[in-house]
Amino acid sequence: MQPQIILLKEGTEASQGRSQIISNINACQAIVDCVRTTLGPRGMDKLMVEAQGKATISNDGATIMKLLDVVHPAAKTLVDIAKSQDAEVGDGTTSVVILAGEFLKQMKPFVEEGVHSQIIIRGVRKATQLAVQFINEIAVKPKKDDEVELRQLLEKCAATAMGSKLINQQKDFFSRMVVDAVMMLDELLPLNMIGIKKVPGGALEDTLLVAGVAFKKTFSYAGFEMQPKQYTSPKIALLNIELELKAERDNAEIRLENVEEYQKVVDAEWTILYDKLEKLHLSGAKVVLSKLPIGDVATQYFADRDMFCAGRVPEEDLKRTMKACGGSILTTVADLGDSVLGTCEHFEEKQIGGDRFNIFTGCPQAKTCTIIIRGGAEQFMEETERSLHDAIMIVRRAKKNDAVVAGGGAIEMELSKHLRDISRTIAGKEQMLISAIARALEVIPRQLCDNAGFDSTNILNKLRQKHAQGNRWMGVDILNEDVADNMEKCVWEPSLVKINALSAASEATCLILSVDETIKNPKSGEGPAPQGRPGARRPF
Amino acid sequence: MASMGALAFDEYGRPFIIIKDQDRQKRLTGNAAIKSHILAARTVASTLRTSLGPKGLDKLMVSADGDITITNDGATILKMMDVDHQIAKLLVQLSQSQDDEIGDGTTGVVVLAGALLEKAEHLLDKGVHPIRIADGFEMAARCAIQSLERSAETFPLDVNNLEPLIQTAMTTLGSKIINKCHRHMAEIAVNAVLAVADMETRDVNFELIKVETKVGGQLEDTMLVKGVIVDKDFSHPQMPKVLRNVKIAILTCPFEPPKPKTKHKLDVTSVEDYKNLRKYEHEKFEEMVQQVKDSGAGLAICQWGFDDEANHMLLQRELPAVRWVGGPEIELIAIATGGRIVPRFEELTPDKLGYAGVVKELCFGTTKDRMLVIEECTNSKAVTIFIRGGNKMIVEEAKRSIHDALCVVRNLVRDNRIVYGGGAPEISCAIAVAKEADAIKTLEQYPFRAFADALESIPLALAENSGLNPIHTLTEIKSRQVAENNPALGIDCLCKGTADMKEQHVIETLHSKKQQILLATQVVKMILKIDDVRSPDDGY
Repeated sequence: MQPQIILLKEGTEASQGRSQIISNINACQAIVDCVRTTLGPRGMDKLMVEAQGKATISNDGATIMKLLDVVHPAAKTLVDIAKSQDAEVGDGTTSVVILAGEFLKQMKPFVEEGVHSQIIIRGVRKATQLAVQFINEIAVKPKKDDEVELRQLLEKCAATAMGSKLINQQKDFFSRMVVDAVMMLDELLPLNMIGIKKVPGGALEDTLLVAGVAFKKTFSYAGFEMQPKQYTSPKIALLNIELELKAERDNAEIRLENVEEYQKVVDAEWTILYDKLEKLHLSGAKVVLSKLPIGDVATQYFADRDMFCAGRVPEEDLKRTMKACGGSILTTVADLGDSVLGTCEHFEEKQIGGDRFNIFTGCPQAKTCTIIIRGGAEQFMEETERSLHDAIMIVRRAKKNDAVVAGGGAIEMELSKHLRDISRTIAGKEQMLISAIARALEVIPRQLCDNAGFDSTNILNKLRQKHAQGNRWMGVDILNEDVADNMEKCVWEPSLVKINALSAASEATCLILSVDETIKNPKSGEGPAPQGRPGARRPF
Repeated sequence: MASMGALAFDEYGRPFIIIKDQDRQKRLTGNAAIKSHILAARTVASTLRTSLGPKGLDKLMVSADGDITITNDGATILKMMDVDHQIAKLLVQLSQSQDDEIGDGTTGVVVLAGALLEKAEHLLDKGVHPIRIADGFEMAARCAIQSLERSAETFPLDVNNLEPLIQTAMTTLGSKIINKCHRHMAEIAVNAVLAVADMETRDVNFELIKVETKVGGQLEDTMLVKGVIVDKDFSHPQMPKVLRNVKIAILTCPFEPPKPKTKHKLDVTSVEDYKNLRKYEHEKFEEMVQQVKDSGAGLAICQWGFDDEANHMLLQRELPAVRWVGGPEIELIAIATGGRIVPRFEELTPDKLGYAGVVKELCFGTTKDRMLVIEECTNSKAVTIFIRGGNKMIVEEAKRSIHDALCVVRNLVRDNRIVYGGGAPEISCAIAVAKEADAIKTLEQYPFRAFADALESIPLALAENSGLNPIHTLTEIKSRQVAENNPALGIDCLCKGTADMKEQHVIETLHSKKQQILLATQVVKMILKIDDVRSPDDGY
């Protein structure tokens, strides 16, 4: 008998071969089932409670996937594509996961029948390539130079993105706001120039867009109330300096020989602070913001000279103010001049709900804006924030790249038809594979119908028929439980979202199909327990 | 296995671990999830139901450390209940945000949300898709608000004729424990708000209204002070108890030799040195007192303390002083007296002093409690409401009730459109919504009608709490509203013999009612949209 060669550490799980691919596919299906029902305007939300008891209610695919805390290695790929879709285009995170899941499902029979993975992968790649090409061909490009038309396009894209979210009843209101917000930005459309703040109370319609920077009133010391709360074109000093009486050096210790020196030390400390304050005052700055605390002495000093100050401003807000109002964040007051001070047209402190906000408007340097979300419950506002984020991303994308396609399953049906037509012209195994991908694409309209409680087979048949007749933009009409021309109904999505979703989904599919062996190290600390974790595996 | 989250098996019966700790997670999906949420939310709502209206009852809550709170303020009850359920928490936030935004109607909003969910449950049983229910509710809410706006009346806001405002404040106070001195409290609230209100911008800064409480005396002794009350007394018992026409120095520096903030050490090596130190300290005191005296101040208010020696010296130099006054009070005093807060003795100048007509010490009963009242100040825009009452709980509840009343008056100043209370607006909205419902051709008709039913739950609860026969009363009022076309007819809770709320002067602000409907609908929608709950299993 040959001696057994032990290659791997005891407890390592290794599985390989075709069964491994199949089991990975099954794992991915389980993940897809988690987000399946969130798709579309009638999609539902998920409530997830973490171990610490923090709850999140969301409809955003990427958020749900992130919170699920997936540990299965293959299933993690799906989480990653959802995340990348979120980072790249911001919307369509649920569709990308569903598509990937469906691709895998359609490929499963081929794997079972013994088609080699590499051939399957080649087929998937080819189908994706064809599909992307086709999207680029048929995407509609409205005229960009026409201001009004561009605006309409953007508003419609934003409205479609928000259609599936909690705020879909207010989507007209919000799509206008989102487009306004994005329009305020400069050419580069930096996302971090749109600040989103949340204030509990009020209705969703009370959400407001501030053309400038706004942030919550910071903690203030006595004397703050006496400062003026309104300025026109003030100079703004942005600091990273602690304006407080304090030990200048932490570890210093002073040995005093006699009493006279005592007073001198005290005076020296005060002089340091007063020097700083005086320089600020002399520079002509009217509004002083600092990342570090501004103490009571400084607050009173400023109040005395009709200046406004806010200490402990969050860094992000301070940076936004800097970008918007100009100037720079100073760590010393030594060279305070006009060049480092920012300015804006109007500054005021305003009460919004239960909080007070510092609002800077008419900023000269960069274009920025702040959306202040109002709503009944914290969860509600958080979800609104996520939805607005999606919509903003979409509008940004659409502004840069203005080709659009019709949503509501229309583009998927058209792609499906196109691929099916092409597949017939191909000889060889790829024919089967491409037509399988074509079938897989139908999952989006099918899921839309399922979520809305429609008879999906019926609607899908109608759609197939309409598309075969050449009605390119026929999609699911959620409102009337029927099919309709979604281009006319203004359900528009930027073509980029679809292209990205398709490529991400096919890449994930290829990745999972090409893995044929998993080696999992035993968890450290669990000891030699080759049976796996107790309770995790149950006798069958 | 169903309870174990999304557990999937491959062909060989091996389970996958897809999500971390998935065997320790609970998962609820579909209608079961919605129903369990509805149940939780309804439980919360039914707790509050009996607190609604003028004859609503109070709740007694004992906190973990034995503190007792008796209240019938919805937001307070929910806050104290410390609920753990995620959905119930949403309702807590709901009433909280109504509190932040409006300050009143916190019970009503929760009761309405509960009623809506109850109706939604029936519809779910009928097989209506939850999102269509939510959509229908939202459409109905919009319809209800339109009807509210139609029936709203403009309120005669006149600074010279306070009667209508007082009547409104009385409505708010009607349900509270302090309704025994109803009118008195209402007058206080109205006067307080009008004293600080800025009639031009229609804004009221609540920070200028301070509410002080002291146990003892009767509720009737509650008073409004046009100035500031500080829970402190003069530092020395021999100082005069009443000062007239005084100039006040407001100091944030202690009456002691200034200390450097840097760590320091004074080496006293000889007796001579020690004497010097002693002398220095003494001189310092004298100098400080002199500086205050020189500036012409007749009273020193100090944020910090001073030792007995300094105290004695102040008495000798006939400079009354108050020590240990907190930051917010210092600020209020500064605003009221028009003085500046001075951080250093060196900076004290005559123009930085505040002025008050009367500063006097109040003594209470046999106890040695004393409070300082600063009245007749230069700036009358800071007022204090001073509440007295038999025991701590009454005083606390009175404070909350006054806050509600203040909010209502403020809302009237901001927006003077009103509706009549006593359930009248709900009934008229219900009629309007029910009428509209028949004109809808889609499935939303059912939720629409359910919304109308849910609106009626407020007058029902009102009638029930007042000991009337709910259904009987409601049908009578409803038919009269239709017959007389008078939207001011409501439940006669106080048995005054007339159902016309206009005659009874039961008034609520339009804004508050609108918020209630909007917020409740929003939260209900959120709850209905969740179909999948993942939470850590409590079993482990």
